Amino acid sequence: MSVLARVVEERGEHLSIAAVEGEIDASNASAVAERLRTLLTNRSSVLVVDLTATTYVDSAGLNLLFELAGELDHRQQQLRLVVAPDSPIARMAAIVGLDAAVPTHPTREAALAAQR
Amino acid sequence: MIGLVSEPSEQGAEQPITDRDRLDSLQRITDAALASLSVEQLLQELLLRISDILSTDTAAILLLDETDTLLHARAAKGIEEEVEQGVKIPVGRGFAGRIAAERRAVTIEDVDHADILNPILREKGIRSLLGVPLIVEQRVLGVLHVGSLSPRTFTGEDAALLQLAADRAAIAIEHATLSEQRQLAEALQRRLLPTDLSEMTGLEIASRYLPASHESLGGDWYDAFAIDVARVAVAIGDVVGHGVLAAAVMAQLRTALRAYAIEGHAPARVVELVNGMMFGLGPRAMTTLVYAVIDADKGSVELVTAGHPPPLLISSSGEARYVEGRGGIPLGVSEIARYESETLAFEPGTTVLLYTDGLVETRGESIDAGLERLRRLATRNGDLETLCMKLVAQLAPRERADDVAMLVARMLPVPERLRGRWPADRRMLASVRRALRRWLETRGASDDEIYDIVVACQEACANAVEHAYRPGAHTFDLCATCDDGRVRLTVRDAGRWRPPRGTNRGRGVMMMRGLMDSVEICHGARGTTVVLERALGARSA
Repeated sequence: MSVLARVVEERGEHLSIAAVEGEIDASNASAVAERLRTLLTNRSSVLVVDLTATTYVDSAGLNLLFELAGELDHRQQQLRLVVAPDSPIARMAAIVGLDAAVPTHPTREAALAAQR
Repeated sequence: MIGLVSEPSEQGAEQPITDRDRLDSLQRITDAALASLSVEQLLQELLLRISDILSTDTAAILLLDETDTLLHARAAKGIEEEVEQGVKIPVGRGFAGRIAAERRAVTIEDVDHADILNPILREKGIRSLLGVPLIVEQRVLGVLHVGSLSPRTFTGEDAALLQLAADRAAIAIEHATLSEQRQLAEALQRRLLPTDLSEMTGLEIASRYLPASHESLGGDWYDAFAIDVARVAVAIGDVVGHGVLAAAVMAQLRTALRAYAIEGHAPARVVELVNGMMFGLGPRAMTTLVYAVIDADKGSVELVTAGHPPPLLISSSGEARYVEGRGGIPLGVSEIARYESETLAFEPGTTVLLYTDGLVETRGESIDAGLERLRRLATRNGDLETLCMKLVAQLAPRERADDVAMLVARMLPVPERLRGRWPADRRMLASVRRALRRWLETRGASDDEIYDIVVACQEACANAVEHAYRPGAHTFDLCATCDDGRVRLTVRDAGRWRPPRGTNRGRGVMMMRGLMDSVEICHGARGTTVVLERALGARSA
């Protein structure tokens, strides 16, 4: 079977960006989470997860983002999400309240410009 | 002990009757063997009877290997070490080797002064030997020899009697070997279509494999496997030659083809890589191949042909035509061979038929006549199993000189009601999504509606998958209907409902409720049923 999702990374000293392309479901959520965790170092302060190119996410994927946000918060780090407004992903995030729990931005630029 | 056959002339008319009786007992075992015994059991039984007929201390059967150059000790009585130590004798050398090479009986009166290759014969104290070739239809299968621990002069009559026994034994051995090889070939072929691909991809597949009547293990094979949720690869190939070598090449090609295909290479490249691999590793034999990738989402089929008869494409209205394409040369001929693919429309109702030459070749007739006969029979056919049955009945002769393989794949139209039983495995979820999306499109759902309904359905399926980690429930059923613009999904599994655990489990139910108009979850003694409903066109995005 081909891979459902691909993670495209940009590592920075304090801020890293991960764009998730494709679909996140129960079969690959933990693998995607592992991949995102590798982007964090002791020195990083912000992880931007860009979901613009994510074509499918269900509760397994949303749960992973909640968990990741909690872990980062615990380590004085911050998770920022990029979710295109009016996209299906935005609808899913709204239903479970992810957009209220985790800083969510309409574009990557907005996420990068945001203050802690 | 010796007198029994060494003095036949003095026994008058009675002796041949005794021999005949004993040969009859051999005949009985060979007859019975055809039905039930394995090759090894048969050989063992034969040796017991033969050493009894000739009153010898030892007996052994050596059979020629695939290359016809080595004799392998396969069964022995009194000299069991021969088999245990895997004795191999080159044809033409030593006692057994000479018998196979010269195709005649050889006697050795005194082992101490003879050219014996196999030390076990001397170590066991054998003094005299008599051996004859095992021959079927002019072909040497191996050697049968008997030995005596005391010096004995094997007479011409002994040799004749042993040869008579060997001739009968050879037929039984040939029969048992072929039947074992045939079972192996069939096992190989039958294992190839592990899953029903129709629910995953909307593609229905049927296949047949018919071994040749007389030849051993053939080199025809077919395969079908999912590359991803939308694409299914189908292949058919014919390794030139027969026997274990052809089967080994076949097994290797099949694995290589799957590996390269799943790696994501384009079809023409897959064929080039498989061809290249043949020159790098292991046994090589000229092989013809058709490799095709059917893309259910795009409604297309991409075909690559390597020296193989052209695939037959049958339209939904039943018109059949050959896809001649840009055929390349067979695999295993040139390391730098290049292949090109051809892409054709593959709409619902379209069928592609892949086959091997055994289906279209008849002795004394041009292949064009065979192709035309196949094309006519495949025109306006029924369902795939009926088509296969019809083609086998009409085109595959009872007495086949060659093996025959065929595989047909048809894109099914999207059904009005979606109904399927799925393995309760997380990796299947993407396939469920794809099937449901495809169905919702035909029901006129908008993109957002499709997304919402698919997510809600997945949440219900994910529950079923989790239940499967408990004993007893390894599948779940999904049924989708749409009446008067109202979509109703039912997901049923045999597991017991697990109460939401922590916040995470709660979110799945929260999403189902947020995305659908109604959500019903029923936990019964026999499982859990989730019913989801949503009216299409009722919500503003």
